[in-house]
Amino acid sequence: MRTGVVGLILPPTFPFLDMMWRICPALAVGCTVVVLVPPATPTPLLLAQLAGELAPFPGILNVISGPDSLGPVLAAQPGVQKVAFCGATEEGRALRRTLAGWGPELGLALAAESLLLLTEVADVDSAVEGIVDAAWSDRSPGGLRLLIQEAVWDETMRRLQERMGRLRCGRGLDGAVDMGARGAAARDLAQRYVREAQSQGAQVFQAGSVPSDSPFFPPTLVSDLPPASPCAQAEVPWPLVVASPFRTVKEALAVANGTPRGGSASVWSERLGQALELAYGLQVGTVWINAHGLRDPAVPTGGCKESGSSWHGGQDGLYEYLRPSGTPAWIPYLSKTLNYDAFGLALPSTLPAGPETGPAPPYGLFVGGRFQAPGARSSRPIRDSQGSLHGYVAEGGAKDIRGAVEAAHQAAPGWMSQSPAARAALLWALAAALQRREPNLVSRLERHGVELKVAKVEVELSVKRLRAWGARVQAQGCALQVAELRGPVLQLREPLGVLAIVCPDEWPLLAFVSLLAPALVHGNTVVLVPSGACPIPALEVCQEMATLLPAGLVNVVTGDQDHLTRCLALHQDIQALWYFGSAQGSQFVEWASAGNLKLVWVNRGCPRAWDQEAEGAGPELGRRAARTKALWLPMGD
Amino acid sequence: MSAHQQGTELDLSWISKIQVNKPAVLRRAEQIQARRPVKKEWQAAWLLKAVTCIDLTTLSGDDTASNIQRLCYKAKYPIREDLLKALNMHDKGITTAAVCVYPARVCDAVKALKAAGCDIPVASVATGFPAGQTHLKTRLEEIRLAVEDGATEIDVVINRTLVLTGQWKALYDEIRQFRKACGEAHLKTILATGELGSLTNVYKASMIAMMAGSDFIKTSTGKETVNATFPVAIVMLRAIRDFFWKTGNKVGFKPAGGIRSAKDSLVWLSLIKEELGDEWMKPELFRIGASTLLADIERQIYHHVTGRYAAYHDLPMS
Repeated sequence: MRTGVVGLILPPTFPFLDMMWRICPALAVGCTVVVLVPPATPTPLLLAQLAGELAPFPGILNVISGPDSLGPVLAAQPGVQKVAFCGATEEGRALRRTLAGWGPELGLALAAESLLLLTEVADVDSAVEGIVDAAWSDRSPGGLRLLIQEAVWDETMRRLQERMGRLRCGRGLDGAVDMGARGAAARDLAQRYVREAQSQGAQVFQAGSVPSDSPFFPPTLVSDLPPASPCAQAEVPWPLVVASPFRTVKEALAVANGTPRGGSASVWSERLGQALELAYGLQVGTVWINAHGLRDPAVPTGGCKESGSSWHGGQDGLYEYLRPSGTPAWIPYLSKTLNYDAFGLALPSTLPAGPETGPAPPYGLFVGGRFQAPGARSSRPIRDSQGSLHGYVAEGGAKDIRGAVEAAHQAAPGWMSQSPAARAALLWALAAALQRREPNLVSRLERHGVELKVAKVEVELSVKRLRAWGARVQAQGCALQVAELRGPVLQLREPLGVLAIVCPDEWPLLAFVSLLAPALVHGNTVVLVPSGACPIPALEVCQEMATLLPAGLVNVVTGDQDHLTRCLALHQDIQALWYFGSAQGSQFVEWASAGNLKLVWVNRGCPRAWDQEAEGAGPELGRRAARTKALWLPMGD
Repeated sequence: MSAHQQGTELDLSWISKIQVNKPAVLRRAEQIQARRPVKKEWQAAWLLKAVTCIDLTTLSGDDTASNIQRLCYKAKYPIREDLLKALNMHDKGITTAAVCVYPARVCDAVKALKAAGCDIPVASVATGFPAGQTHLKTRLEEIRLAVEDGATEIDVVINRTLVLTGQWKALYDEIRQFRKACGEAHLKTILATGELGSLTNVYKASMIAMMAGSDFIKTSTGKETVNATFPVAIVMLRAIRDFFWKTGNKVGFKPAGGIRSAKDSLVWLSLIKEELGDEWMKPELFRIGASTLLADIERQIYHHVTGRYAAYHDLPMS
């Protein structure tokens, strides 16, 4: 069902087409839109005029012209359910921090830089044309990082410089001109970058016929920039191209993925196998093979890592403005007194328990495929519903989280390369093991005050869900039909990487399994913090996983929920965090995710009905557990 | 005419690693057509430039002395006198670049041009035009006979069989022999790109032809199903530029077949300007093989001068 009121915050010099691509899907699914645009740009005025022409439905599209600071004000209005932000990375980060706890979902589309990878078996002349399209035309969204295989470095540079000489800059509306200007701010940014690059020792080449008055900036090629210089890690502004060499395909992938941004990329190679290997290996949202900058409304376009998580086009673009039916509207749950620096920082000290009844060896942390002692070498007692001691579990801390995330990363490549059928088989084996353990699990749940009938249902549903998720994910991707392209566009669903999950207290076993299964089956590796009050059923499941699953695939860390949440939320190498705890924790998670702009899913302190199909095993879980990549394959010989 | 391009030794490494990506070339071709429009008096000037680059062609089975004579007269006076006067270009010697006929009609063409008092070269097609599927001996003999009759430019067709079977050395040797048989005459090598199968083959054949000493490379005979298109031209122009970078020799380019409108001719000129530069925009290095194009250009100039659209019968026939 539709989300409701959508707020859209746009940067200066945003193309009209991109504005339409974001507004029209929202209107189409039934949302109403409020657009905040910077003042003194003419294009949004056209938008406002069009909005005024929607006479039968006044108010479905509204345009406000104002400074950036109005962004949080817009988001804080009651009734705004989603805020979509397009613009610079730092502003997106600041907005994420400001909006923590306010309620609306935040979609970010940041960093317009793209990547072009030129191998030695490419058609170099055509790749040079691709570079011109990518960096020095009015269609290009931002600067370009150019990676050239060393064997063709000289040839490419020569052709590129020759081609740059033929470019013409001038007023954008003149049809005979290749590129226009984007305002004084963009020009100053480019100028600063060039000066800094030169001071670091880079070679700068500029060419093309450019009018000398501002704000025109000539097409620029920067090479020999040392990779360790601060310029090389910053976003490349328009209209610059920063070129660097690479030796082998493996190195190319490492260099290309070695930046926090992951928007779009193109691979130029005439060898199909090599092109596909590069395309699958790049961590970006869109890959074009032997082309650059192709777009179509039917193909989802978005990014990953710090390029933001919002999508437009295709089905994903529509899902941005929808939420599962029956979900109540988001309301602010802001706690103004939350101290972000102090949340979860200190471990509450626990007094040792009274006389212990019965031997209860402490459970360790399940990290790297086996149970280990925690770094702090202490345990916490778990009490059952009568208040007597049920057992001891490990007290995990920051070091343990770090170890768990590392183990998860180590297991990730192997797990990602497994076929969906192999993953399904493992989940089925786990389901069978769980079924064998049923009496044990039921008794553990009963001790925590769960009724026998409900406990049985819980275990049964857990087994069923493991099997169901295994069967659900079979297709690796689907081919889209694109109107103007000869050739397929593949829409792939790729794993996010390492997924961190903080499980809720309600339905301790069922929620644990319901969150684990979709994450695993989509190819992610997981770090879990089980329910604080009742972690023992989860740890029982870990005993099965120790024998069935590859090491490091699932890591379970017990301990103080707030402290562990803090460690996970601030960790820069976790790709997504699902938090089902308190409202304050949700707010902290949203705030802290701004660090590496990880995807977050919080419950805002509201419990979820895990036993209902819609909430416990619905398609929402599947959507959130993977990300899309569009792979364009123009054909022809 | 300028001196001959001597060609080089065969070096297969120049073509061994080449790959041409067709969708990307198609995209570039579309872009070129939209990006550099020419209007008003500049358009008229470019059209006159295009006229001076035309090889006025007639290659039909029913050519006789009478239509050859008409063609040659039109070559000397391509645009009506009063239109040229209105543009103040009547004394600049605007004629077409050459006249192109079958070998058997070379004598008639030479006679007609002499009678008209014109020193435009006569170009003859040769070597089994258009299919080239005759014995090498007769193909070389054709060239010699055409040169004897007075042709100063020869348009030869390459042996497509050699291209499709990858016999690059044999192709090089054959074109070298054509070069020798031409003697002092200019050699234009027709690649018949519509029959070469892929753009990569077009590039390779262009390189081989230039290495063997062609003065011009030409896209097609005009008799194939697909003749001169922009994607093929882009590939050939890239080959010409690469050859120039490697050896310093400038080889000319001639598209032929399917160029009928004045607008097309403007796009061709801007393509040459974009890919190769201003030096190639002259008859020594660029020709258009066309027959009805001249009529359309004349009508465009008529429109520019008078502001009215002419009927075909307002202007002298070629």
